[in-house]
Amino acid sequence: MRRSLTPLVVTLAVLAFFYLPVAVLVGNSFNASRFGGEWSGFTLNWYRRLLAAPEIWHALGNTLAIALVATAGSTVLGTTAAFALDRYRSRLQDAHYLLVYAPLVIPEILLGISLLLFFVALRVQLGYPTIVVAHVTFCVSYVAMVVLGRLQDFDWALVEAAQDLGADAWTAGRRVVLPLLAPGIAAGALLAFTLSVDDFVITFFVAGPGTTTLPLRIYSMIKHGSPPLINALSTLLLTLTTTAVWLSQRLLKEAR
Amino acid sequence: MKSLVAWILPVLAALGLLAGCGARAPRTLNVYTWADYIKPEVVQRFEKENHCKIVIDTFDSNESMYAKLKAGASGYDVITPSSYQVAIMYQQGMLLDLDHAKLPNLANVDTAYLRIAIDPAMAHSVPYMLTNTGLAVARSKVKNIQPTWAMLDRADLKGRVTMLNDMRETIGAALKFLGYSLNTTDEAQLGKARDVVIRWKKNLAKFENEQYKSGIASGEFLLSHGYSGDIVQAESENPDVTFLAPKEGLSIACDDLVILKDSKQAALAHKFINFLHDPAVAAENSVFISYLCPNSAAYAKLPAKFRDNPAVLLAPEVRAKCEVIRDLGAENAKYTKIWDQIKAAP
Repeated sequence: MRRSLTPLVVTLAVLAFFYLPVAVLVGNSFNASRFGGEWSGFTLNWYRRLLAAPEIWHALGNTLAIALVATAGSTVLGTTAAFALDRYRSRLQDAHYLLVYAPLVIPEILLGISLLLFFVALRVQLGYPTIVVAHVTFCVSYVAMVVLGRLQDFDWALVEAAQDLGADAWTAGRRVVLPLLAPGIAAGALLAFTLSVDDFVITFFVAGPGTTTLPLRIYSMIKHGSPPLINALSTLLLTLTTTAVWLSQRLLKEAR
Repeated sequence: MKSLVAWILPVLAALGLLAGCGARAPRTLNVYTWADYIKPEVVQRFEKENHCKIVIDTFDSNESMYAKLKAGASGYDVITPSSYQVAIMYQQGMLLDLDHAKLPNLANVDTAYLRIAIDPAMAHSVPYMLTNTGLAVARSKVKNIQPTWAMLDRADLKGRVTMLNDMRETIGAALKFLGYSLNTTDEAQLGKARDVVIRWKKNLAKFENEQYKSGIASGEFLLSHGYSGDIVQAESENPDVTFLAPKEGLSIACDDLVILKDSKQAALAHKFINFLHDPAVAAENSVFISYLCPNSAAYAKLPAKFRDNPAVLLAPEVRAKCEVIRDLGAENAKYTKIWDQIKAAP
């Protein structure tokens, strides 16, 4: 019996649809031509120019610092939210679920502008703290959803067994629950990190003087800068986020 | 698995600490502008001379910058919006009136430009960078090149011509071709301009705002209507590309320097604007961006090749016929109407 070729063709088509534009971008980052219309030779020139652009590295520093703090904050909050959602059932928890879920579906621009209006109303100076708070706001939901997924196949009998063997709640949490959930938490954290690094819309509104992040910088460069530098930068950024996603998936797989 | 997490977390924490440290200088001027719009060496020189720190943040469009500031975002001192946006921000009371006593270098600003500027007295804005919208042509492949909008009528270029997909610029080109103002609200003049664009359209490959740069550089297109900044880039990619400044006149766009009303460093902001109009600094920035800082004293300091390029500096007789596109408010609807007719025409 011959196997049908259809699944293979469809898979290839989907992959091409997703990744061909990215491949073109990565290719063009090594293209000597300024516009990338045609191939005019291999060059590392754009990467060299990138190395010599301090404002880009400053923006990258901002982005990573914000992403790390936002990841830490949203991981703690998201994990505790997931616990509460999983362990307790009540009408209040239904509302809680809705609130945690909402940022996933609220348009980013709405979230961005309302956060800005909120900060302005509180007379908070825009800067690193406001960006971190904004990023935690949307990252919490993603972490909570990932951890909640892990909790759904979690066997609470293990905790009871630990307690039977003399562990108190703290020890059981630390020695049993946490290690079992760690892959889920780490996957959520990496997802949060990726989202924070990539975010443009919300960050644009809540960024203050001196806190331009990499996506803001890239967006501005598209309008008024040189396109090949953006290709080179996007390739680097792509490597960073793909690594994070790949790690996150590996962690999830190992857990199964 | 466990070891992996144990390894990652401390590294992340250490990175966070490193990135979090960063001392602030006592006096800071916050500049909100386009990317790569002020030469970094020039900024460093100003910081050194005035013992201050300049923090530059970037925006990608006038509209998003305005939305953010209007919603209440504060902390910025000097910004560089386009002229039409400056007019709106001024009406909204967001801009500080400039103190000319602190701006002696304004004497250098090109009066030929100021005559057509939206704020000719520089009451609340100082012109920073000019660009114009003209034609790019592939020199070796087109015969009998003339600097005129009539090039768009040339039957021998059929199918290898592009015009901007921009209502005001494209209708404006036809208005200039006919000898009218590109800010006209006269329906008869607009009707004639519509007929001209429809005639040109038969020659066009497409209305296009982005791809024409690579198209003209690679030889796919022979004639493109486009922004001088883009065309200068195409020229550096392919020396065969040349900017044509139509003798009937063209549109000039300007980004202005303004100080926000809630700026806490108004004195330093004035100093910075004055510094940017120092002839040597203005020339350096012009070369860095490939736009023209309208500073008469700086023109002599520009490299000859750069100064002689009409994409940068227009000849005085052409300059005299140029105009700035103004926001027409409710009258914009007249343009939208004929633009729809142009788009619908065969």
